[in-house]
Amino acid sequence: MGTDLNLQAASSPHLHAGDQVSTAMRDVTIALLPVTLVACYFFKFNVPFLIMVCVLTAMFTEVLFRRAMGKKPQLHDGSAILTGVLVALSFSAATPWWLASAATFIAVGFAKEYLGGLGWNRFNPALFGRVSVILFAPWLVYLNNEFFYWRVSFPGIDTVTQATPLTMLQMGLPLPNMGTFFIATQGGGIAESSALALILGGLYLLYKKHITWHIPVSMLATVFIGTALLGQHPVYHLLSGGLLLGAFYMATDWVTSPITKKGQIIFGVCIGIIVVVFRVLLAPTEGVAFAILIMNAFVPLIDRLTRRKKFGEEKAQLIKQTVSTGANVAVKS
Amino acid sequence: MAKTFERGMDIPHYKEQTEHLPVQELPQPTELIIPLKQHIGAPNRRLVSVGERVKAGQKIGDSDAAISAPVHTGLSGTVREIGSRITMTGQLEDCVVIDVDPEQEPASYTADDVSQLSTEEIRRRIREAGIVGMGGAGFPTHVKVNPPTTIDYLILNGCECEPFLTCDHRLMLEEAEEMIAGARILSKVLGGAKVIFGIEENKMDAIEVIKKKLAKEPGMEVVPLKVKYPQGAEKQLIYAATGRVVPLGKLPAEVNVVVQNVATVKAVWDAVKYRRPLTERIVTLTGPGAVQPGNYRVVIGTPLSHLLNCTGGIRSDVVRIVMGGPMTGFAQTTLDAPLVKGCGGVLALTSDLVRSSPEYLACVRCGKCVDHCPMGLYPNYIGMYGELGRYNLAKEWGALDCFECGICAYVCPSHRPIVDFVRHVKRA
Ligand code: SF4
Ligand code: SF4
Repeated sequence: MGTDLNLQAASSPHLHAGDQVSTAMRDVTIALLPVTLVACYFFKFNVPFLIMVCVLTAMFTEVLFRRAMGKKPQLHDGSAILTGVLVALSFSAATPWWLASAATFIAVGFAKEYLGGLGWNRFNPALFGRVSVILFAPWLVYLNNEFFYWRVSFPGIDTVTQATPLTMLQMGLPLPNMGTFFIATQGGGIAESSALALILGGLYLLYKKHITWHIPVSMLATVFIGTALLGQHPVYHLLSGGLLLGAFYMATDWVTSPITKKGQIIFGVCIGIIVVVFRVLLAPTEGVAFAILIMNAFVPLIDRLTRRKKFGEEKAQLIKQTVSTGANVAVKS
Repeated sequence: MAKTFERGMDIPHYKEQTEHLPVQELPQPTELIIPLKQHIGAPNRRLVSVGERVKAGQKIGDSDAAISAPVHTGLSGTVREIGSRITMTGQLEDCVVIDVDPEQEPASYTADDVSQLSTEEIRRRIREAGIVGMGGAGFPTHVKVNPPTTIDYLILNGCECEPFLTCDHRLMLEEAEEMIAGARILSKVLGGAKVIFGIEENKMDAIEVIKKKLAKEPGMEVVPLKVKYPQGAEKQLIYAATGRVVPLGKLPAEVNVVVQNVATVKAVWDAVKYRRPLTERIVTLTGPGAVQPGNYRVVIGTPLSHLLNCTGGIRSDVVRIVMGGPMTGFAQTTLDAPLVKGCGGVLALTSDLVRSSPEYLACVRCGKCVDHCPMGLYPNYIGMYGELGRYNLAKEWGALDCFECGICAYVCPSHRPIVDFVRHVKRA
């Protein structure tokens, strides 16, 4: 004994809880499975196809950008795959694949990698990509013409032209029965197929402790109260327009939400308020995506203002400077 | 509801392996390597020279400085060498190496009537015995029980919140009487401070034993504490047991509290009653790679290799040997370091357990370290700025208030070596 030992030099702590970033990413992807299955039931093969396109684009983009920036690809953290899935699910099933692919490219390439890589990105990549293609729509018409001959479509998308419940609400049309609406509806984005499935996935994430109640609850409660005060149907508002997807899967994104629970509640409430304003006063759709992105920009400020006391400290001190952006990390790692 | 502190976290405690094993004597080693400094404070000068014969219990190092504690040899023998040797922290320290006599003449101690002793004499005896905090901190005890303020509470730390370790648990079960007697002495020295035994609820048998013994003891009570790491950290324990908050950068005496580890208090009893120096302690040998896990009574200065040789060695899949606890202890690269006053455990860990982060990721802001940091710091920012070399910002977020409990690096899903970053910042 003694001679055949190979003891590593190491520093404390010598134990680890065993969590990994990749496990969390995997679990979020799993949590999206129920809603994906419901969507497959409605839109058939269009759903897996779009997801496949986005996931492949995401992986390719990550490798491309990291290589270009002189870093090692980091596909094993699972974040590129998840971003691909999230982007795909935020589109409607009839979306041309090149549009979804372009959104994914922007999400992973620009919103994530260019801004410093996972951990340094300030905006939720999936939402950033999704919203970019809306803002750039006029230019993307060009893409539509270019790629028209490569379009792919499978049976099952005949119903997608149906108005989404939110627009129906806006236009004063009779709404679908609440129960059906809760369990499964066609219309809007792929991820809007089933409120129930989204909630199930959200509960799974809560159970797995990857997210906590603070953001979803404060966000949903604010929308509920806000729309009720303004004389609308609060429950329909909760169940539609990607609000649940946003509340459980987008706003809770670790990287782009505040670090303390108090900050997270402020964040959720602010998103809720912006969503209500968007929906009631402006366009009926996409309010959630814009609201979350706007609040992403305020996260450093929220972090600074909610700085808590150290144990044994008289009064919390304000810290002048906080999180640097990805710009100064690009040089290291 | 058991009392506790804020934040911190439940860590699997892996104590089943040794918590029911009574303390065993370890066979005597052939050599002792005794570091001259086993305390926080001024270094000792040696009192012996090479070739000199030493008796069991003889003082071999001391200092005139106020904050210091002498060291003694637990066994008789001949001084072979005095020089730098590797110690448990990985640092080289001046050590007295003694060839131990195979035939030992046990040192004889006579019992004194403690009630006749003045507080001055008690403190003197504690100092002379070389008693330091045995929970790992190593602060000289005679200094700690001579605080500048009046003391309301003497808290005996029986939390043993580090996973794997069971030495204090066994001590509380097997030597409760002596420990309580030691507490009585310290309470008297501290002007009649109330005594609180703070014990985590995963040691119910110890809580019962001590409760029973304290039934007719006024001014002493057991406070069961929630099982949560780091319950045994001084400030956290004070808060849990008394509700008092030690201000940042201040000592417990500031809120009129003194904390002592249970093993230290037992040693105080030996020192005051018998004038017996601190030359042995209980060490838990454990971990999945230990062949004969157990709680062993070892002579201070016993080389780690002797402990392992006497207990069947370690399994071949051991990748890390830690001296101390798994959250704050030191990984060994050799088996040469001696067991010292502040070392309560030797862990043989396998690769499925150990943390290693050769390829850590950027912080993904999951918030887990922030949620659990017992000091209420922002380990994420400390780590981030520490890594970027922006030490002032790391300090603003609390690097200097970190006591290196290890929770942040333990929970981090990006496997960031946050405590290493903290150490960098502290050194900068
Ligand atoms: S920052 Fe320091 S005190 Fe806080 S969890 Fe990390 S090691 Fe413990
Ligand atoms: S635990 Fe790690 S990843 Fe999570 S916030 Fe702390 S440093 Fe960042």
